[in-house]
Amino acid sequence: MTLVIGIDVGSGYSKAVVCEDGTVRSHAVMPSGGNYKDTAKAVSEMALQKRNLSQRDIRYTVATGYGAGMVDFADETMTDISCHAAGIHRIFPAVRTLIDVGAQFSRAIRVNDEGKVTLFIMNEKCAGGSGKFLQIIARILKIGIEEISELSRGSTKPVEFTTGCAVFAESEAVSRIAEGALPADILAGIHNAMASKIVTLVTRVGLEEKYAVTGGGAKDAGLVKAIGTELASDVLVADEPQITAAFGAALIASERISR
Amino acid sequence: MTKVVIVSDRIETALIGPTGPEHRKLANKVMEEALKQARLRFEDLSYIVATGYGRINVPFADRQITEITCHAKGLYSLLPTVKTIIDIGGQDSKGIRIKDGKVINFVMNDKCAAGTGRFLEVIADSLGVPLNDLGKLSLEASRATPISSTCTVFAEHEVTNQLANGESVANLVAGVHESIATRVYSLVRKLQIEKDIAVTGGGAKNIGLVKALEGKFGSPVLIPPEPLITGALGAALLGKEKWEKARLDGYTPTRSKEGLQEAKLFT
Repeated sequence: MTLVIGIDVGSGYSKAVVCEDGTVRSHAVMPSGGNYKDTAKAVSEMALQKRNLSQRDIRYTVATGYGAGMVDFADETMTDISCHAAGIHRIFPAVRTLIDVGAQFSRAIRVNDEGKVTLFIMNEKCAGGSGKFLQIIARILKIGIEEISELSRGSTKPVEFTTGCAVFAESEAVSRIAEGALPADILAGIHNAMASKIVTLVTRVGLEEKYAVTGGGAKDAGLVKAIGTELASDVLVADEPQITAAFGAALIASERISR
Repeated sequence: MTKVVIVSDRIETALIGPTGPEHRKLANKVMEEALKQARLRFEDLSYIVATGYGRINVPFADRQITEITCHAKGLYSLLPTVKTIIDIGGQDSKGIRIKDGKVINFVMNDKCAAGTGRFLEVIADSLGVPLNDLGKLSLEASRATPISSTCTVFAEHEVTNQLANGESVANLVAGVHESIATRVYSLVRKLQIEKDIAVTGGGAKNIGLVKALEGKFGSPVLIPPEPLITGALGAALLGKEKWEKARLDGYTPTRSKEGLQEAKLFT
């Protein structure tokens, strides 16, 4: 039994994936909070405990993500861009363009037929196309972020936002709500505004099918649909899109010990 | 904010009132207040020009003119030596180059809240400091804390984290002013900046921000006595010119048929 673990300490959530010979044995996700070091430990414990394993059973640990440097028990750290690519390549080998919608950043990553990154663009300057945008809107609508997707499905007339800025859109949403716009139409409008921001990133790395969306944003089916409409193409989403980079990290860990 | 300026041969009255979240319902209210303050009736007004972000939502206006033109006109009447205007409003920031009261070029950012008054509002809110106190407070700073995020959302987090790490509120506010000044400078420098430089809009009321702008532009700046009303003043002056020219040419300019009322939904 050769067990490895991949840990992705994101700016919003931390994820751990335990793999055995390239197959997921268990995974865990929890909010990153303020202390990345403790969270990394906790999320990996959580994933291990699900299979009654302990840290001693793990042959190799790869850490990735925003707080990867804080994972002191990792054997190696890798960029989350490469881990995303490795993860998605195993799940959907045909994917050439990966769109990661994280809590703070969104990214477009080009992946070749070997699962290697050829180009990526990251939006770290603006919250416009990130999960943060969804959080802001969820807060003013007084709903949970996980309710957004379902609620947005009822939209018949999406609100047209004049801005891609999360701060300006927040006040625009407040005005539209005051005028009687329905939450579903607000959310669908936000999905469209985000999708157009995200797709400008994708355009800059070059459009090549097939597309996949990963990260917490991929759990919002309404957003994924809006991205697909904007790209005029089908978009793939893994069963657990949020753990893609942690899975990729675990795959890289497996590779290391098989050498 | 909604501003009303009534002019004759002099400024009869100037009033600043709220715009409200729907920016279409309150223009008539602010106008009523201004008339009351000037002891005038609506019928006494010969011509009304609306300007600004919500200028189409003033049904009783006889004409709409963009805020860029109005700002230039208003400022020129107050400070005729000014060639470059930096306007920092709640929704946008602008740079305007003027010559003899006419606009020769302008740049504007209304796409991103960074570098606008909104950035200040958001940070003031999360620091629990009233917007009007930011300027004075920042003068007590021992340094301007560097703010690395451009985006308002991320900068807010950064400031909260710094606060938790023990950084002083004054230093953080000074850092925020520095951040806005940097953004505004990189926007306005696209114009060929010429002195004198004036700052208008709500941002001009913040002494800390004005000092930060002076640092970036490497020059003292002029501030009109009431920096919020330059656009409305320019609108009034342009309205007066239009009306007077029409009278000279022997006709009465067309007026709006809507009375002093709030705008209707236009959707």
